[in-house]
Amino acid sequence: MNVPPPNRRPFDMGQTAYLALNGALLFFLLAPIAVVVVFAFNPTPYISFPPVGVSLRWFDKFFSSAEFMNALWLSLWTASCVLVLAIVIGGACALALARGNLPGRGWLTAFFMSPLMLPAILTGLALFQSYLLAGIGRPVWGLILAHTLIAVPYVLRTTLAVLHNFDRRVEEAASVLGASPARVFYEVTLPLIRPGVFAGGVFAFIVSFDQFPVSLFLVVPKGETLPVVLFNYMKFDLDGAIAAASMVSILLALAVVLVLEKLIGLKAYVKL
Amino acid sequence: MATAAASRPNPIAWLIAPALLLFVLFFVIPFGVMAVMSFFSGNPISNPNAVLTTRHYERFIDDSAGIFHDALWATLRIGLVTTIIALLIGYPLAHWMARMQSRLGHALVLMAVLAPMLTGIVVRTFAWMTILQDKGVINTTLISWGVIEKPLPLMYNEFGTVVALVHIYVPFMVLTLTGVIGRIDERLEQAARSLGAGRLRAFAEVTLPLSLPGVLAGSLLVFALSISAYVTPSLMGGTEVLTLPMLIAQQVGTSFNPNFAGALGVILLAVSLVIIIAYNRILARLSGEQGLA
Repeated sequence: MNVPPPNRRPFDMGQTAYLALNGALLFFLLAPIAVVVVFAFNPTPYISFPPVGVSLRWFDKFFSSAEFMNALWLSLWTASCVLVLAIVIGGACALALARGNLPGRGWLTAFFMSPLMLPAILTGLALFQSYLLAGIGRPVWGLILAHTLIAVPYVLRTTLAVLHNFDRRVEEAASVLGASPARVFYEVTLPLIRPGVFAGGVFAFIVSFDQFPVSLFLVVPKGETLPVVLFNYMKFDLDGAIAAASMVSILLALAVVLVLEKLIGLKAYVKL
Repeated sequence: MATAAASRPNPIAWLIAPALLLFVLFFVIPFGVMAVMSFFSGNPISNPNAVLTTRHYERFIDDSAGIFHDALWATLRIGLVTTIIALLIGYPLAHWMARMQSRLGHALVLMAVLAPMLTGIVVRTFAWMTILQDKGVINTTLISWGVIEKPLPLMYNEFGTVVALVHIYVPFMVLTLTGVIGRIDERLEQAARSLGAGRLRAFAEVTLPLSLPGVLAGSLLVFALSISAYVTPSLMGGTEVLTLPMLIAQQVGTSFNPNFAGALGVILLAVSLVIIIAYNRILARLSGEQGLA
């Protein structure tokens, strides 16, 4: 492993190798996404390389297939509900943890973050078995609440980060100047944590939209989310329709990253 | 407000109620249900003949079909190899990011690391299928260059599974390591160098040892994630790879034996919990309470 020198010289073998290595690693990270884009526009009926032309036939197939469209709408509907629920539940939970003087805050935080660490497929399995035992079938609200459970930790993380960073004396100043606790909350605390809550909501949306392991056991035939439909399709067919569907997902993610950067700046997320 | 900051919870604490309700109903109780189900012979509510039994665990331990132990071993092996490669790839990237002077460069690399993370697992696995399959990018290119005559078996085996898993989980390694390496004072390494150590030696004897807790935390995180992966092994592994999560899905989907699936789930959960507890210990030591947030 090479290390950059503290003072740069005109040409430096070690430094060059270090940069080349990291360039190659970045290529490894990004190339597969570029490949998806290529195949989305490649008109051949099966995945083949090199590409022979540019066509929109796969987007046409994707957007005109009832199966894909139903799945896309279910995924978008689920993710939108999860976004709202996760913002409300996660935001409130973060406030309680940071400002509620609760005993055992460390443990509670770890508890609320734990769905991120436990195997998601087990969360799906456990909920599947509970719904089975309760005899409620596999309703869409069951799927939405399952996704919300996985999404709340993201909102919690971003909101707690903001709450940690902002100066509590701002709230104290407002209350010293005569604002009631409710007014302090609505006019000081809420606007200050808003970027954190929204950024978490954006994560919540993506986590739900791309969710597979939690959905696997909780969807019904003909009522599957987009990732599940894509997965089942890929087991038998590997054509450009998957690439086109992937492109749609990637563009969505990209839009979300841009929104994220605008709202709060990505730097806040490196603090793991 | 500062004077009221005693140890008693204030009204804001009530805001925790919705989250607590959600987590008890849809997290704590379900995992309890899974554990209970694993000790029953059938559905204890709808089936009056269901009895308490340990036979699902005995079935796993006896392993008369000779697949369960192999699946457990394959899960751990794939997890371990994935973790090691993700570390070898993630460390240089994290080091580069942590030591980068330019803010723009830092933001760009961070974006590049996060972008795959924000792309779904199914999509990324699809990408690797198009690259590694017989008619995929690598094989077609190598054949057209005359390097090989027959396509290399890059997919439908453990190799393909590990490659795609590494790609999916490297960002977690990078994000964990960047934070840790960034907190190591660069001047320590400079001091070692001014005292005559070579660049590699300064790195190996100063920065590397100081970053070891981060290495451990990142590795445990990636290991925990990759042993619970389902999509990638089942698409990239073909018939050659069978992991514990795949076995669980089989029991639910094709065999419809949710009780045995529950037992397998408890076994996977036990393995994960050991790793998670170790991870949290290390993270807590690294950054105090904030590490959990």
